[in-house]
Amino acid sequence: MQNANQSFHKTVVYSIVGLMMIPIIATFVYSIASSWGATILPDGFTLKWYVTLLSDERFLQAFGRSLFICFSTLALSVLLIMPVIFVVYYYFPKLDKFMNVLILLPFAVPPVVSSVGLLQLYADSDIQLVGTPWILMGTYFTIALPFMYRAISNSFASINLHDLMDAAHLLGASTPQAFLLVILPNLKKGLLASLFLSFSFLLGEFVFANMLVGTRYETLQIYLYNMRQTSGHFTSALVMTYFFFIFLLTWLATRFSRGAQS
Amino acid sequence: MSYVRVDQLTKRFGENTVFDAIEFTIEQGEFVTLLGPSGCGKSTLLRSLAGLNSVDGGVITVDGDDITHLAPQQRGIGMVFQSYALFPNMTVFDNIAFGLKMKKLTAGKIAEEVTKVISLVDLQGKEQHYPHQLSGGQSQRVALARALVVRPRILLLDEPLSALDAKIRKRLRQQIRDIQKELNLTTIFVTHDQEEAMIMSDRIFLMNRGEIVQQGTPESIYTHPVNEFVAGFMGHYNLVDAKHAKRLFNIDTQWKVAIRPESIYVKEVGRQYGTHISVPQQGIIKNHQLLGNIIRYNVAIQECELTVDLLNRSSERLLAAGTPLELLFNLNEIQPVSA
Repeated sequence: MQNANQSFHKTVVYSIVGLMMIPIIATFVYSIASSWGATILPDGFTLKWYVTLLSDERFLQAFGRSLFICFSTLALSVLLIMPVIFVVYYYFPKLDKFMNVLILLPFAVPPVVSSVGLLQLYADSDIQLVGTPWILMGTYFTIALPFMYRAISNSFASINLHDLMDAAHLLGASTPQAFLLVILPNLKKGLLASLFLSFSFLLGEFVFANMLVGTRYETLQIYLYNMRQTSGHFTSALVMTYFFFIFLLTWLATRFSRGAQS
Repeated sequence: MSYVRVDQLTKRFGENTVFDAIEFTIEQGEFVTLLGPSGCGKSTLLRSLAGLNSVDGGVITVDGDDITHLAPQQRGIGMVFQSYALFPNMTVFDNIAFGLKMKKLTAGKIAEEVTKVISLVDLQGKEQHYPHQLSGGQSQRVALARALVVRPRILLLDEPLSALDAKIRKRLRQQIRDIQKELNLTTIFVTHDQEEAMIMSDRIFLMNRGEIVQQGTPESIYTHPVNEFVAGFMGHYNLVDAKHAKRLFNIDTQWKVAIRPESIYVKEVGRQYGTHISVPQQGIIKNHQLLGNIIRYNVAIQECELTVDLLNRSSERLLAAGTPLELLFNLNEIQPVSA
């Protein structure tokens, strides 16, 4: 009975996974097909789309820009969010409820709306921000905030913060020493997992990048958008490269979060 | 001059006074227990001594130094927490070495000191284990070693045994006491368990509602409770109100009288009792509880109900409910206690 039940579950799960895999597999096959027109199967296979893509200076630059923006955003997030959560949990635990509402705000406003708002806000500003990577970093920070705050505050909640700090203080450590030597190493896994998740999310972000910066600072997603008129095989190769990168990151993230549980 | 002196110590949380003008002294090498029900302020008092809480008034001196306003790092006080508070990211060795590293000792000196204290708490072979690989008893011994290795002037133990199961608790409390005696370490222990307090302590400070109600040796507190609270907290004293005390024992008092259940005799035929054991009373057994080595009877004497503890010598002598019997009392053991 249980076996029958289990095989039913498996059938359902694998069918859904299979269904969702179809477009990815199709894209992959298309990206390695020399041409695929009126036939059921491609005429032949080739890697030339990948070669063209990976030797395209513009692609590599766009990829580099995306990485730069993502890494800077995440570095900024860690530097700002870590101390904030520590202060909230250690000194003002009552603020946690308020913070939980606050960090959800970026989710409440649709990206199109908030990007228009940001454009209006910064269009007349004395400092030229619109069209530069800096406005994107600031915006991405607000997007990454909920992920990062949740993950890190969960890590904080899972350790006995006050007793650990007290124990470290009594053994002669100052508050910064206690934080760096005792608290931070115990947040590492949760922090890394949240960083990987935010990273893959930010790398795929298109709306803000397109509205706020566009072609003036071509990121990966903008590049993909601009390449939409070229050969479908080429854009498929581009999408597959991007997918592969995200898969790699997701795998790393799950590995780290699994490590955090054990 | 006492080693630890606490004078007029006061702590408030907003409107709420945790303790007010508390005073006590502790001698060097003494094992003192702060005993009391939860919420009586004993843990807050301990944390104030450690400097983890600020105080709103009063003075704490240790060995003549005023430490009232020193940071916890500068007090030379070691502490063991109920939650162990071991650093999860460090091995047993690194946990214990932490305090020495903060003192910037050389690696060689650190290894030497850590090895010494590890053998003191009997944890050889566990040096490279992480806290999540240890049992509760082992974790608490690591915490103890970590507190001891920096040679604190006072050791504070905040309910260190409460999270452990009964068997480990018994072994560890003996081990803590042995180590404390061996190092002649001034120790303050916090617990809500009166049995633990009596077994381990040189002196007990019994606290209630932010006050030290009674202090003294375990013996004196157990046998001479000063008021109803102490009598109720230590053991299972019978409290008999003034009216019945006058009628049953001919004692004139405005207070209730306290009678220990194990000080009451059940009269056996043919046995001689000393002259101090007198005041026979007729009673009827209402019910009993078997505590293992002791049988606890509830006996009704007229409208007054008393608990009587008898040793469980043989199952044939178990007295059934409804059995009439004659109780004898030792008048020296019946004492008035204030409200």
